[in-house]
Amino acid sequence: MKRIFLAAVMLLPLTTALAQEYREPSKESEEYNHYRNKVTIPPYGLAKVKALIADIKDVDDETSALAPKVYNGLSLREKFTYHMIHAETYAQNCDAIPPIMDEQKKIFGEIPNSFNDMQWSERQFNWFQQNEDSVVAIIKESTLRSKRLGTNYKTAIVDMNAVQMIPFLQEFYLRDKKDHDILTIFLLFMKNNKYQPFLSSVTYKKLYSERSDYSSFIDYNSANETLILQRINDFYKTYRK
Amino acid sequence: MKWVLLQLLLWIVVCCQAQQLRPPVFNTVPAGKYQVGEKNYLSNPLRTVTLDSFRISVTEITNEQFAAFVAATGYVTEAERKHNAMVFAPGLEEFRWLEDSTACWRYPNGISRGGIDAKMNHPVTTISFTDAMAFCHWAGYRLPSLDEWEVASRAGKSGSRFFWGNKKETISKYANIWHGRNHLVADSSDGFMYTSPVASFKPNPWGLYDVYGNVFEFCSGKAPLDKPDSKIVHARGGSWWCSKNSCNYFNSVNIGNVNPHASFSNQGFRVVKP
Repeated sequence: MKRIFLAAVMLLPLTTALAQEYREPSKESEEYNHYRNKVTIPPYGLAKVKALIADIKDVDDETSALAPKVYNGLSLREKFTYHMIHAETYAQNCDAIPPIMDEQKKIFGEIPNSFNDMQWSERQFNWFQQNEDSVVAIIKESTLRSKRLGTNYKTAIVDMNAVQMIPFLQEFYLRDKKDHDILTIFLLFMKNNKYQPFLSSVTYKKLYSERSDYSSFIDYNSANETLILQRINDFYKTYRK
Repeated sequence: MKWVLLQLLLWIVVCCQAQQLRPPVFNTVPAGKYQVGEKNYLSNPLRTVTLDSFRISVTEITNEQFAAFVAATGYVTEAERKHNAMVFAPGLEEFRWLEDSTACWRYPNGISRGGIDAKMNHPVTTISFTDAMAFCHWAGYRLPSLDEWEVASRAGKSGSRFFWGNKKETISKYANIWHGRNHLVADSSDGFMYTSPVASFKPNPWGLYDVYGNVFEFCSGKAPLDKPDSKIVHARGGSWWCSKNSCNYFNSVNIGNVNPHASFSNQGFRVVKP
């Protein structure tokens, strides 16, 4: 009996340890996760676009793509709103980056997906490319108005390779230094444009080399922040589209 | 006349064979308490689960088995009805897939990239969660729950990413995955760019093949981070598309999210026999 009791007492710390394995992220981390995963909802023709999207639900109550005739009838700004609030095709299984401990203390190598299990279609990506100047102008206007840059805007900026936005993005970031994914945009610009000083850096190796993956990050601290801003400014001075 | 009758007889035999499901082989996972998840991993936290005994198919459901279901029932998959399957071709940026109106389980990456005639022993793909459920309903099987899948994949191992421990390089013995740094150029370095025939790689210690790689396997049930009203479903184990740099979900920890009506060419399933 004594032995059983002793064994039970010895096992107690183990079971307690198992129960404690699941550590909730801090409130600060959770709030930052919520903040960085938010999309910006543009105001241009919003009610009309929402009504059109509601009308394209299929037999499974799934939304898909606006019919070409309806789509082509939208103004440029309405199309902008349509693309920013509605993705037309399915996203692959594994692209959601799960919440991470102390998220606010990290600079990630990639931007979170904007639409959970959906993503922009080829038609939508092509529209951004074909209307880059207008899209950039609308993003600037909308960002200044709402004082935030949603993950949908960031994805469009990177996809269009809108390097001309660097001064605007830097100024916007420096207002409160809250949105570290703006630094991620800079990192992606330098990677995608094969900026040699960046490709040979320690940061590049950590985020985009053979050993990295989609959740790779570097620590957010003033040294890393300063280095990224310095590099992106050097890149911008030498960049020719 | 005799020749015509013989031909007719042969045709009937072929049709009957096509409609007969060659059942998968099942292995039994004993009832017990199992540790699943990973320490501090929010999407799948470390915990102990209690499971009843269950029998799980040692391979993923093949094109041949799905063809038997379609022949017997006339079932039309979601991709065939909606023409919205998502396919892959080398040259795409990471996580980009193409919508191909010609793709379905018979032509997993679209008609231009070939059919399954010579691939009847490959896992069925380009089917949705809804399609997998329809197969299960017809065949008298069900999908494994998230916990059942994980316990079966771990084969008695806990506290690590893989059933052999944490050494990442070992994956090449057991799984058809993508070995390139990105998806801009084709990678067939393990012998296969898309799916491989089931059981082409070594099984786990409990005799299950392709628990990692080949195709993502649909599971039933909710994941820890699912919102109560979420319609998203889950699939596990990674696929031929997954690389260590993008979507390294070929392990026993990660849980993938997907729309129940999405049909991807890296998506399949294995079954549990009640």
